[in-house]
Amino acid sequence: MSSVSFWSSLKEEARRNYIAIFEQEWPTWLAGIFLALVALLIFLWKGPWGVAAAYRNVGDWLLYFGGVGEERPFSPLLHPIVLTSGGLLIGAFVSALMSRQFKLHKAPPLEYAKSAIGGIFMGAGAVLAAGCNVGGFYTAAAMLDFGGVAMMAGLIVGAWIGLRYLLWEMEHVPQKGVEQHPPGERWLGVQPYIGGTVLVLVIAAFYLYAVFDDAALGGLLFFGFLIGLIMHRSRFCFVRAFRCPFMTGDAEMVKVVAMSLMIYGMGTAVIKWAWIQEPSMGVNHNFWIGSLLGGVIFGVGMLIAGGCASSTLWRIGEGQTKMVVTFIAFALTNSLLARVLKSFDLYDKMGQGVFIPDSLTWYVTVPTFIIFFVFWAFVAIWNEKSEKLVIF
Amino acid sequence: MDLQDITPFSVLDARGLTCPMPLLKTKKELKGVPSGEILEIWGTDPGSKNDIPHFGAKNGNTFLGFFDDDEGYTRYFIQKG
Repeated sequence: MSSVSFWSSLKEEARRNYIAIFEQEWPTWLAGIFLALVALLIFLWKGPWGVAAAYRNVGDWLLYFGGVGEERPFSPLLHPIVLTSGGLLIGAFVSALMSRQFKLHKAPPLEYAKSAIGGIFMGAGAVLAAGCNVGGFYTAAAMLDFGGVAMMAGLIVGAWIGLRYLLWEMEHVPQKGVEQHPPGERWLGVQPYIGGTVLVLVIAAFYLYAVFDDAALGGLLFFGFLIGLIMHRSRFCFVRAFRCPFMTGDAEMVKVVAMSLMIYGMGTAVIKWAWIQEPSMGVNHNFWIGSLLGGVIFGVGMLIAGGCASSTLWRIGEGQTKMVVTFIAFALTNSLLARVLKSFDLYDKMGQGVFIPDSLTWYVTVPTFIIFFVFWAFVAIWNEKSEKLVIF
Repeated sequence: MDLQDITPFSVLDARGLTCPMPLLKTKKELKGVPSGEILEIWGTDPGSKNDIPHFGAKNGNTFLGFFDDDEGYTRYFIQKG
């Protein structure tokens, strides 16, 4: 018979779980499953998951404070996508603190310039495609909008062009590393306590929204928080799915994103086919010109910046200072270009959302969707072995 | 093998660079390393702790390991195959 007390057993189990969650990195396949499930919860809770609209809102406010435009932008505290995206950033921040990995990372000067240029490209691409790598590709594809597939094609081409540029830069622009200050022992020790405090504040914010009869918005903040936690703990990066087949031939992220999309897409099919949510919900992307062209431009930008719309947020959360530049450039460009397209009445010329089951019927759409993403994964696996698509 | 005692053929300073630049530069630098020699990489991107060991063990090369230096960066070692 053991003499272990209930409390010491509980303490030991808590310690082991803390290590599993915050000290060991999560496998990306597990993160892909979690991400799809949380995205489905967001869809059921309020509507399709997106990120770019949060950048737009921030850009609108920056321009408003800068004297551009007289109309006061929508309040970020009541904006569903700002709350999800804010939650994502906070979730990554908490994750970084709890795992004692939060640190302000300095980058060489050229990297800050590239962050700005990449952000400008991504901001522009997200306007044309009516969404970023999340809303325009991941969610759009899962919502069974042809625009998601068109943006995926554009992202592949854009990633290829962006990688070509990086290879050119590496050959022609010398760049030295920059020294970083090691984190102090005291700072490392206090990080989990700060992270725990922020976590309590996020939960408190949910209840605060509920008190004001807006639990839906509080829930979005919390779902975003979970996504930030998932992405940071696994270092989940959509860019890798488009870049690695050309760079190292590595197929891991293609397999993960394809699997995640199959779960998200089939979950959406159940929800829409059963009319739990309106079937046309989330089918609002600019198929095909806007999605394809936007995808190419966005793809170039995410390679140059070193992060997409979602990974820019979680990397800011872990202290990557250069991604703050990407964030601001993305936000301002997105807001400005949207105004330009609107004023010249060009937005409608970019295309419109096309619901795949309306074209192919449900019976053909479901197996075709699965076959398409399985095929993508198999091409990546073949390329991993043959390196036929590797350009460097 | 004690990583601290290794005398590398060349050292790549990728401190401050973020994904994908440390991996791209590693791939380029490794092309110039003779077979059997060792490339040391200095990096600060947390993502490199996955990327470089994974890449360093491919194409007949051997990833020897990494450790966090007291100066706030991580030192990685790849032996060219």
